[in-house]
Amino acid sequence: MDKFKTAIVGNKDTILGFKALGLETHDSNTGEEATAKLFELKKKEIVIDSKTGETRPAYAVIFITEDLAMKISDEDYKKLSENALPAIVPVPGSKGTSGYGLKRIGKMVERAVGSDIFGDQ
Amino acid sequence: MAKLDVKPTRMELLNLKKRLKSAKRGHKLLKDKQDGLMQKFMEIIREAKVMRREVEEKLGGAFKNFMFASSMMDPAMLETALLYPSAKMELEVTTKNVMSVHIPYFKIKQEGDILNYGYLQTSAELDMALKSFQDVFPLLMKLAEIEKQAERLAEELETTRRRVNALEYKMIPDLTETLKFISMKLAEQERSTIVGVMAIKAMIEAAEEMKMREKA
Repeated sequence: MDKFKTAIVGNKDTILGFKALGLETHDSNTGEEATAKLFELKKKEIVIDSKTGETRPAYAVIFITEDLAMKISDEDYKKLSENALPAIVPVPGSKGTSGYGLKRIGKMVERAVGSDIFGDQ
Repeated sequence: MAKLDVKPTRMELLNLKKRLKSAKRGHKLLKDKQDGLMQKFMEIIREAKVMRREVEEKLGGAFKNFMFASSMMDPAMLETALLYPSAKMELEVTTKNVMSVHIPYFKIKQEGDILNYGYLQTSAELDMALKSFQDVFPLLMKLAEIEKQAERLAEELETTRRRVNALEYKMIPDLTETLKFISMKLAEQERSTIVGVMAIKAMIEAAEEMKMREKA
């Protein structure tokens, strides 16, 4: 079975705890920095078949703290999320949740159904 | 609805009939696909919402613990303590095909101890904080899996919905209207030919009658 890597992007103090779990940590303090980092991580690939030169993404899951995720422009976000892997998942930072994650789910519903049918729940 | 820009011939009529038939068939198939996707999507998105709430709550707690721990320790010490983690994390990814959308499933494998530092200069709070991180982590991965699945399905649903609507509200009405236009036009042509023939026949008959009268 293939082995994938997991990374977290965020403020240094926040992501330090995840380092102990064996995640790769990448410091970013601004939205632009985080966006550039995400693109860089997404681009990294591993060759799985040396004969055909077939590649797959090196990272399966990239976590990003909410405060940074919010600063990524819609356009970049769309580009980042278009493939099956990696999954880019916002997690609440040390300041607690801002509701961004739930808003993101609402957006998905809106995309799929046409309107956010669970919006008020 | 606009009718298509085609010549009103019998050939075109046959072609369009064929196209209408396949459009209707495609529409039915896509509609079924949309229903199938929607069912799965609803299932996943409900789960995602619950998971998201749970994870945010628990992770908030874990961060709080970590904050306490880091406030009690010298930042440099904290960093060196966590500099070389012995815990390794590996991720296996399998995909499942739902209505031609590949959705990922993650499986984590953790090895090694997360508490990989000397006890002398670190506080007990740090141990607790890391433990709580470790407890939340499987949930976090599960959330990543579910959210990515939801995202993939949402994307596919969007395109399918667009296709279904395009067929239902544009392609099929356009084709039906053009078909109607061509069959009317052809019927009109037929009538006009008959009328023309009748008129000519009448003219010929009238001319012959004149000749007969002149002879008599």
